[in-house]
Parts: sequence; structure tokens; C-alpha cells
Amino acid sequence: MAEAALPGARLERRDALLGLALIAPTVLVLGAVIVYPLLSAIYLSLFSLYTPTLEGHWVGLANYRAVFGSGGFWSALATTAVWTVGTLTLQVLFGLAMALLLHQNILFRSLARSLVLFPYFLSTVVAVLVWRWLFNDLYGVVNHALMAAGIIDAPVSWLGTMPNAMLSIIVVGAWKFFPFVVIAILARLQTIPEALYEAARIDGAGPVSRFFDITLPQLRDVLTIVILLRTVWDFKEFDLIYLMTGGGPVNGTRTLPLIVYQQAFGLNQMGLAAAHAVAMMLVMLVFMLAYLRRAGGRVA
Amino acid sequence: MTNRQRPALIASLVTWPLVLLIAFPLLWMLLTSVKPQAELFTTPPDFLPNAITFEHYRRVLEETAFLQYFRNSLVVAVSTTLLVVVVAVLGAYSLVRFAYRGRELLASLVLFTYLLPSVVLISPLYLMLVKLGLANTLASLVAAYTSFALPYALWLLRSFMAGIPEDLEAAAMVDGASRMGAFVDVVLPQALPGIISTALFSFILAWNEYLYALVLVNSDEARPLTTGVMTMLISAFNIEWSLLMAASVMMSVPLIVIFAFFQKYLTSGFGAGGVKG
Repeated sequence: MAEAALPGARLERRDALLGLALIAPTVLVLGAVIVYPLLSAIYLSLFSLYTPTLEGHWVGLANYRAVFGSGGFWSALATTAVWTVGTLTLQVLFGLAMALLLHQNILFRSLARSLVLFPYFLSTVVAVLVWRWLFNDLYGVVNHALMAAGIIDAPVSWLGTMPNAMLSIIVVGAWKFFPFVVIAILARLQTIPEALYEAARIDGAGPVSRFFDITLPQLRDVLTIVILLRTVWDFKEFDLIYLMTGGGPVNGTRTLPLIVYQQAFGLNQMGLAAAHAVAMMLVMLVFMLAYLRRAGGRVA
Repeated sequence: MTNRQRPALIASLVTWPLVLLIAFPLLWMLLTSVKPQAELFTTPPDFLPNAITFEHYRRVLEETAFLQYFRNSLVVAVSTTLLVVVVAVLGAYSLVRFAYRGRELLASLVLFTYLLPSVVLISPLYLMLVKLGLANTLASLVAAYTSFALPYALWLLRSFMAGIPEDLEAAAMVDGASRMGAFVDVVLPQALPGIISTALFSFILAWNEYLYALVLVNSDEARPLTTGVMTMLISAFNIEWSLLMAASVMMSVPLIVIFAFFQKYLTSGFGAGGVKG
């Protein structure tokens, strides 16, 4: 087939106009639902805007002074950091362990994998309803199980007191999102050449040193990507926390996304909310850029 | 082989209890939904129901707006998926195969939006949709859901299409096919697994979305399941857990179907979607 050898470069340079026509719908839609809202979020943050009437006036950087000058933003930032670090650590450790186990030749492996992956695809609303029932003060299974095991003497309020509420959302977040880590690592594990392990065995390496000398270095790249991605996603998580605790008790679990929502639609300060959102994005930008550098390197 | 079977057995004994622990909340949801109300409040709770009842399912279907919410969710998720897949298939093909200025920038922008928090976009989107007179409509949800589903779909399809050899198109064009002819006859069939995977992800993302629905819709006519079911929780004087669990089970049925029949498309989508290191 001499035709098959036709250089792809010629194909690529031809009809650039067609290329533009094909990308046009994407550009239009992304412009309308992302670029325009993003720019107007920054613009809105310079206004004082009352949500119900949408009337407001220019205040310049006053909103930002309010954001950075009040304690609310900083304590929400700290809360977000606790939530992100807590749930991410559990997700990664448990996800890694589970991926290693599911990589073994266990009984009914595909069923086990399906059961483990399912929470990730489940609606957060469903996950929250189920867990709120499990955490129920009087009739929840969690309290019954812990009492039966002798760990607690009386029912504990899991969502109504601190630090229990934070602990609860961290656990539920880990349960919901660790399958993401499992899938990513499992896929990578399957591509590690068996020959590496054979060689290590011949050299007398035990399972522990095989893990640290072969598996972990091989997983380094995928772990970096997964951790960056999940850091960003956990940081901006709204649904799970809002539905589990609503940010309470008091403001114990009020993370940055919740403060933005609360300002915009609870306190009706849309301009101030936008300033909070932009400030939150600035904090996230470090992780976003790190991810873009890692994953975006493949764009070219 | 016995050398290998023993570790496998030990691994099974370690793994399965953990798997069951992970699956327990969902099993508990199912069991709660078929227990008679009185059985929920026994101390300690019985694991298996003494009697099975479908009364809660009947009540959710007949006494609440569940079916309306379900229909809304279905319309929104299917519309979002169709819109996103059509736009993203063309866009991804353009990003992969054509050279023009700004292409790299656009690809980076797509990746960036993939990380963007919804709460940043929510106020401006709300203002925009109110101005357009679309507040409280299913169309407003489709527009909002496109903001996260389209970047995801573009990113996924882009990497699927990058894996299709260009030679196939070149050969088709030498045989007389036009550029778009080659796209339809050669690229689309090759990209089909990727398209299915993208469609499933878009559908699931739209089906599960909560925040935009919370802000953009406040009437039952346009309310999807996510906010609808939470409304049932809030409006009830006593929280009726068996009703909520029955609603949760029914709300998860499309996901269970997708999961049971198309799981390999979901896992292949993961490999393609930005996770690939």
C-alpha cells in the first residue's frame, strides 16, 4: 500500500478552514458558558450587588479588602485545608492499598472491582442520604456497631458536634472518591513488566522491598497526577459537605466553596461572593498550574 | 500453580472483608428501603428485614413528585449528553488533526476548565440565565451542565482520537473520499468506544449534578432528582428514612444499568481522561 505511506503532514496542513469550522461550536459554547462567566465573575467582584434585585454599584477593591481583612475567609481556608488533606490522605492510602489487593488474583475479582468502584459513580446526593442514615444519632448503624464493639458507651452525635462532623465528612469523602485512585493505579499496575519482579526475586528481594524498589517508583508519575487532580477536586468540593453538614456545626465545616455559595445566595451579596470565589481560585492556582504542567505537557 | 494459589487465597481473605465494608452502605440502603417502617427503630437493628415490603416504593412513586423529577433528570441528562458529544466530537477531531493558531492555547484552556470550581461560575451563569429568561427551565440546566461536561468530553475524545492512525484517513482520501467523508467513514467508527465512554460520563455527570440545580431551579416543573429528593428530605416533618432510601435506590437505577453493562467503557474513559500520566 503505497498510499498508506502518504505523509500525514500534508493532511494536517490542508484545509485549515475546515479545522476552524469544526472547532467553532466548541469555541462558541465554551465562550458562553465558561469564559464569559469567568470574566464576569472577576468583574462582579468589583461591585456591591444585591442578589434578589441584581442592583448594585461599583466598589472597586473593597470586596477584596473585606475578604482578606475578615477572619471568615482565613478560617474557611484553614477548614478547607483540613478537609482536603484529611480526605485526600485517606483516599490515596486506602486507594493504593485496595489497588494492590485487587491486582492480586483474588476470588471473584471482577465482582470485587465493580463493588469497589461503584461509590465513585453514585450521585453525591444518594451517598449523603445513605451516610446520614448510617450516622443517625439514635438509630444509625455506626453508633450501634461502635457501642456493640465497646468503643463508645452512648450514642455519639456524628454531624452535630466538632470535631466529629469534620471526621465524618472526611470519611464519607474518602469512601466516595477513593475509587478514582484505585482505577488509576490499577491501570498502571497492569503495565509494569513482570520481568522486573522476576529479576528482583532472583536477586532475593522480598515482597516489601519489591514494593518499595519496583512498584512505588513505577507508580510515581500516576500518583503525582492523581494527587494533584484530587487536591483540586477535593478543594472545590461543594455538594458533599453542603449536604452532609451545611457547613455546621456553627462554621466548623464551612469550606471556601460553601462560603461563596452562602455569600451569594444566603446573604445575597453577589459581589462579595465573587470576590471570595476569585480569592479561592488564586489559592487553587498553584495546584492547577502544577497539574497543567504535568498533564498539559502531553498536549503538544 | 499451587505456589501462586496460596497467596491468592490469603489476598482474597484480606480483600473481601474490605470490599464488603465498602459495599455495606449501599447494601444498607437497599435493605432499609424494603423494611417495614417499624423495623427501622429496633435496637439493635436487625440486619435482614423480617418482612419485605415495597410499600415505600409505592409511596415515593404515588405520593411525591418523584416521577416528575425523574423525567426532568432524564431530559436534562440526555440533552446535555447529545449536545456535548456532537460538539466535542467535532472539536476534538479539529484539535487532533488540524493545525491553526491558538490550537495549543485552546487545548490548555480545556484542561484548565476541567479543574475550575463550579462556585466560581455559578453567580455569573445565574445572572446570564436570568437575563435570558431561562431561569427555572430545563434548558438552563443543560446550558449550565455543558460548562463542566464539555471540557471533560473534549479532553476524553481528544486522547481517544489521538490514538487513531492518520494513515487510515489518508488511504480513504486517496481512494476518493472527501475530508469529511473520511471523518465519517473512518474516524467515527474507530472512535466509537471513545464516543460511548464520553457519552456515559456526560450522562452520569449531568444525572448527578446538584449545585447548579440548587441555584437555577426552584419549581417542581424543572427540578431534577438530586435537588428534588433533597426537597423531600427537608419538607418532611419527620425524616422518613425508608422513603428516602427507596428514592435513593430508584435514583441510582440508571447508574446501576450503566455500570452493569458498560463498565469497561467507564474504566477506559479513566485511562484517557487526564489521569494518564
